[in-house]
Amino acid sequence: MTKKTFSKVLGAVAFSAFAAALTVSGAARAEDGKLTYFTWSGYERPEYDEVYLKSHPGTISASVFGDDDDAFTKLKAGFRPDIAHPCYDKIIRWKDAGLIEPIDTKRLSNWKNVFPSLKSLPALQAGDGKVWMVPWDWGNTSIIYRTDLLPNPEMSWNLLWDKQYAGRMATIDAVHDTPVVAALVAGVNPFDLSPSDMEKVAAKLREQRPLMASYTTDMTSIEQSLASGELVASMGWNEAVVALRKQGVPVAFMKPKEGMLTWACGFVMLKGTKNADLAYEFMNSRLDVSSGQHLIENDGYGASTSTAFAAVGPEKLKELELPSNPDDMFKTTVFTAPMKQADELAKMFEKIKAGG
Amino acid sequence: MIPARTVVPDVRSLVFRCLMLLPGAVMGLGLIVFSLGLVVFLAFRHNDGSVLGAGWTWSNFQTILTDPLYAQVALRSVMIAGTATAATVLAAYPVAYCIALRGGRWRSLLLFLVTLPFWTSYLLRVFAWKIVLAYNGVFNSVLVGSGILHAPSLAFLNTPAAVVVTLAHAYAPFAILPIYTALEGLPRSLLEAASDLGARPWTTFRRVVLPASVPGVLTASMVVFIPTLGDYVTPALVGGPRSIMIGSLIQMQFGRANDWPFGAALAVAVMLVVAGGMVLGRKLSVGRQG
Repeated sequence: MTKKTFSKVLGAVAFSAFAAALTVSGAARAEDGKLTYFTWSGYERPEYDEVYLKSHPGTISASVFGDDDDAFTKLKAGFRPDIAHPCYDKIIRWKDAGLIEPIDTKRLSNWKNVFPSLKSLPALQAGDGKVWMVPWDWGNTSIIYRTDLLPNPEMSWNLLWDKQYAGRMATIDAVHDTPVVAALVAGVNPFDLSPSDMEKVAAKLREQRPLMASYTTDMTSIEQSLASGELVASMGWNEAVVALRKQGVPVAFMKPKEGMLTWACGFVMLKGTKNADLAYEFMNSRLDVSSGQHLIENDGYGASTSTAFAAVGPEKLKELELPSNPDDMFKTTVFTAPMKQADELAKMFEKIKAGG
Repeated sequence: MIPARTVVPDVRSLVFRCLMLLPGAVMGLGLIVFSLGLVVFLAFRHNDGSVLGAGWTWSNFQTILTDPLYAQVALRSVMIAGTATAATVLAAYPVAYCIALRGGRWRSLLLFLVTLPFWTSYLLRVFAWKIVLAYNGVFNSVLVGSGILHAPSLAFLNTPAAVVVTLAHAYAPFAILPIYTALEGLPRSLLEAASDLGARPWTTFRRVVLPASVPGVLTASMVVFIPTLGDYVTPALVGGPRSIMIGSLIQMQFGRANDWPFGAALAVAVMLVVAGGMVLGRKLSVGRQG
């Protein structure tokens, strides 16, 4: 082969490789008839989809993530499921990136059962009875502590800054948790930070870093470390408390004077999904009583529907430390809403974790 | 006019050669040149949240050079990867030595055993170390059980040392194989000659075996140092906040910090550091020969 033909061949190959790379994202699109669901790990369990699976057995293909910011990256890189499951504070970012399309609540017969305070969350509204996200689950973020190793602590987030427990505490590696709490402790508004507020949050996070054994989103590793006594306290979610109590570990879920965090997550429809009908059916099935009841009873998280709460009953709710009327609770806790400076906060948090 | 029958084989051979070249070219251009080009391209872009960024800028590299954090994390990564490399090579050398010079007919079997850990997932091996080093783990239980410690120590897990130990274990086969290859090629007659000339075993080792194995040791060091420098899984699982390495920082940029151009710039900077290490290693080996 002459040099000239060789370079021609090479050029052609380079061109086709480039073209192939460009079409890969197209190939990653979901196939028809099967619903692709992109969710937090653990939220893909079939008992949540009993109603849907009855009429469409075996047609949900689930893909999971550990953090909805990582999920955002995957979507940005071209992954196209039909439905995803981010939390409320991310909705504006996802909407602005052009990833999601409005959901018509008229097509969801169970929408009427969703708690009014969740329905009326400002960033959800897409106008004309449409929403950007259908709330499904909510829960709290607070300090889980060992009542035997840490009797009668002050009911405050400041525990996570107590030098006495250096190396025996952990916190959640997510922008919507640890930096938000740092802002609360610093006495500034986490959802709209001025540059000087940002500096205060940074100072708090820097102060905390040497005291932490780890930053993680893996509740299982937090549960194990709390159970073994390696950790005496950790930031955590309801599910971990329920799981630890089931194992007989003496733990409590703190009600800090600065307020627990409340977060809500739900379903978004990815722009251009070919399975919109199935997606609506899926969301409606998740708003069914049975799905919400499983969520409350198995995981200790709140469902978004009053019907699910009614089905669980007050005794079980009390045992799980869930309120009988979540609308009241949302008023007394800090609701994790979209943060105006989310990107700057994320960058700053990552730098501080690395020692900056 | 050229007779037809000489043209046909020529075209055929051209097609054949093109087909033979195709996989390599696709791999080389698509997976290496194109991807690397994309990273370098991205490194000089402004972050506007889109996949390819907008406008051209040096600012990503300026930040890396002016913010002391990046030098600090890079230094920490070099320290951890360097220590892990030294630990790996030191642990691998005796193994390679034994297999190459004393293995006899068991050599192939021993080499096969060395690769056995690869049969399990890397994550599984990291978790195994987590179990060994944890607060209520194997190591602490032995220490407390034998009365050396009164209470389990927190000093094992979530430390840079845990990262070094885990990496050294995981990369051992990568170090054993090149050192083995270097030692295996050592002519036995040299050892006999050394002993004929009255050299004691230690002198033989120092003056014959060790110099002959230096290329293997250098290859092993490269093979271990380069991937460990960019590792982020191991520090994330067993390292704790004090061992966040440059790989984690890059991953964070592509993840929740959502600044792909800056992540790309960091990746390019790491590649430059690695290239520097390679040049240094090469200088060392060339200098030794000359």
